[in-house]
Amino acid sequence: MTTDTSVRAPLSAAARLRHRKWYQQPRWKRLFAMVALAVVLTQAIGVQGVRGDIFFALQENFTGVRLWVCLAIAVTIWAVREFGADVMARYSAALRVETDRPVERPADVPPAEGLSPRTAHVWLPATVARSVKLATARFRQNATYRWTALGALLAFLVLLPLMVSTLWQQVLVDQIGMYVLVAIGLNVVIGWAGMLDLGFIAFFAIGAYSAAFWTGGLPVEPPVELNNFLVIPVAVVTCLIAGVLLGAPTLRLRGDYLAIVTLGFHEIVYLVARNWSDFTGGTRGAPNLDRFSIDLGFWSYQWRLDPAPYYWLQLVFIVVIVVLFLRLEHSRVGRAWTAIREDEVAAAATGVNTVRFKLLAFAIGASTSGVAGVVYAGKQGFINPEQFMVMMSVLALSYVVFGGMGSLAGVILGTAILVWLPEFLRDIVAPEDRFLYLGGLLVVMMIYRPQGLLPSRRRQRELRMAEEGSGGADALGAQPGGVRG
Amino acid sequence: MTTEMRDAAQAADTAEGDLVLDTSNVTLRFGGLTSLDSVALRMRRGEILAVIGPNGAGKTSLFNSLTGAYVPQEGTITYRPKAGGGHELRGQKPHRVSRLGVARTFQNIRLFGALTVLENVKIAVETRQRTDALSIMLGLPGARRDERESDRKAHEVLAYVGLENRINELASSLSYGEQRRLEIARALATAPEVLLLDEPAAGTNPTEKRDLELLIRRINSELSVSVLLIEHDMRLVMAVADRVVVLNFGKKIAEGTPAEVQRDPAVIEAYLGASAEEDAAAVSEMVDAQAAADLPAPRTPEDPGPAPETTGTDGTGETDGSKEDGS
Ligand SMILES: Nc1ncnc2c1ncn2[C@@H]1O[C@H](COP(=O)(O)OP(=O)(O)OP(=O)(O)O)[C@@H](O)[C@H]1O
Ligand SMILES: [Mg+2]
Repeated sequence: MTTDTSVRAPLSAAARLRHRKWYQQPRWKRLFAMVALAVVLTQAIGVQGVRGDIFFALQENFTGVRLWVCLAIAVTIWAVREFGADVMARYSAALRVETDRPVERPADVPPAEGLSPRTAHVWLPATVARSVKLATARFRQNATYRWTALGALLAFLVLLPLMVSTLWQQVLVDQIGMYVLVAIGLNVVIGWAGMLDLGFIAFFAIGAYSAAFWTGGLPVEPPVELNNFLVIPVAVVTCLIAGVLLGAPTLRLRGDYLAIVTLGFHEIVYLVARNWSDFTGGTRGAPNLDRFSIDLGFWSYQWRLDPAPYYWLQLVFIVVIVVLFLRLEHSRVGRAWTAIREDEVAAAATGVNTVRFKLLAFAIGASTSGVAGVVYAGKQGFINPEQFMVMMSVLALSYVVFGGMGSLAGVILGTAILVWLPEFLRDIVAPEDRFLYLGGLLVVMMIYRPQGLLPSRRRQRELRMAEEGSGGADALGAQPGGVRG
Repeated sequence: MTTEMRDAAQAADTAEGDLVLDTSNVTLRFGGLTSLDSVALRMRRGEILAVIGPNGAGKTSLFNSLTGAYVPQEGTITYRPKAGGGHELRGQKPHRVSRLGVARTFQNIRLFGALTVLENVKIAVETRQRTDALSIMLGLPGARRDERESDRKAHEVLAYVGLENRINELASSLSYGEQRRLEIARALATAPEVLLLDEPAAGTNPTEKRDLELLIRRINSELSVSVLLIEHDMRLVMAVADRVVVLNFGKKIAEGTPAEVQRDPAVIEAYLGASAEEDAAAVSEMVDAQAAADLPAPRTPEDPGPAPETTGTDGTGETDGSKEDGS
């Protein structure tokens, strides 16, 4: 008897810990999210506040009928989704069975029982789904399809600036293109090697100042004056060295500490740029920089104010870097990074020199950021310290996480969308509020799709495994909620 | 019997000179706890040496000290590869130890779960390659050759341990026994001279245990790898080990052939005295009995049992889950 209760009591206590209050259940959480979304939407599509009286907008928007309409729509969507779930689940299960049916029977043959209204609603979508699946499988295997699609995408990207206004061309070059380059570099550090870097823009600044220095734009004279294109290898090496100098003593630190160190590094670079006036020009910066130019003797070209040519230049850089990085991802280096990210102890025991590979990631990321810095300086024609604030490092980080750490396509798409969004919102909501919506989107995204927009397969699996592990006895994986409850 | 004869023969011709691992006086402390206490371990080249001992005896700590995961406060660990020369392993970085030719597996399986079986092994093969990032990015011929080479070797090793059919599965989707074998494959892929296996049979079924026994023997004889084996399954130890070292409370208390060690009063004392195994067995029996009593509990009127609300609301599913965690 005594053993009985002594064994049972802790068990039920553990079970009680796992029990969730009603408001902690996902269903009600989702209702809450929908209501919040409705409220935000009401404000977003309603009257915008003015600086003097923000309460005017709030009063207008939240007393009218619009709020109730939004709320009703949100709650309806929620109710259908929650309480229609059984029906949907049964339907999608049937659909899955039908889609995954063995291939002996060709896709276009109706089920054996014959096609009736009762079976058609499953059979038809399943056939479509299967065709799509087949097509994607063929697409995966067939190189010709792949190259065609890639060519089409590239053609679209090349023609893109011709289809948009000059204003959007500026956005494409100054923001999207630039941040995409930075994000591709940051992805190496965060997505592949798994190190949290909060000072990534420091290397961008170093690249930009290298460009300024070697083209003769700073108060000090360079040994030789270089063309912007020739500065790129120099900037790469400079950033490589800076990355190694920062990384060598600090990469032994664990995630959070490394983040603080990199944050500090960024601040140092920023302050040096601001205060070492003799070298960097101080707060005034370097006002008159050379733009990009090519002079091959028989042919020369000069980039001027028109943004489109810069865009194409950026595109070339991005494509080249993506090709190089894709090779890296599926090589021994990429695999070693994954191993380190997943289990550093096991990786080291297997013979992976963890410090060396982390340093490599740091250096490669830094030099990519440096290239982006040179391109930026060569486009803007002026730089000053205020263009390299810590905020930008944070933004770059959020772009990478939003797009899907470790996935090049995801990072590029995510960055493009997140940079585009505030610009797009400029005409729709009050300009000061734009980043509010960006923040909201990030919050929602991280709750409902933490793996990012187009996650890498490896990363997605890791995340799923971590989630499954959280139910186990592993103290590290335990959810804080379970302990509290 | 055969192992004893083999051991005797080996002992005769490799008396002292041919030690592949020679540790002396290794002491490892965690604060006030001494997890290894002046351990002297001498491992002959080509032998299968088992390390046994009750839970918490310091077996895994010994492995961690040998492979550089822990740095013992005192002692020396000398490793002598075939190529000649001696290396001090104490305080070496783990990846250096691996590169020197000492590979290990983990008691709590530590695979790269989000990678495929093949990739897990390729990572190990590739730690021996020297291609740099630049030639990989540029796709130079040398880099391509290395990639093909690592692919080939990884396939080879996987076939050797019998995982050739699971090559493209995720490591985390394998069964327990397969995961243990994959860990061995990953260790083998670094072409080690000494292989440290930490409870490779834990959590595997009898068939898998027999396969494992065979595999360990093959690794030892065909690849001439010296094997240091931690194992709780005495049957397996008796079957494969040439010699056995017994640890208790961080001290070496016995050493000899399996038969000798089994008869040693100090060893019997250690197992009965510490009775960790017994405790575990007793606890699991108790829990089983409790679970058996639990199901028909509402139907037995003479059993007052605990108040119904302590178990009733939570359901048996929860109870079962927690029990598994505990055992
Ligand atoms: N990192 C650590 N920090 C503190 N104590 C440790 C650490 N590693 C091991 N110990 C302690 O050292 C002692 C030996 O542990 P070890 O894991 O080596 O035992 P073991 O023989 O492998 O046991 P088992 O059979 O359960 O695997 C234990 O008391 C353990 O708590
Ligand atoms: Mg152990």
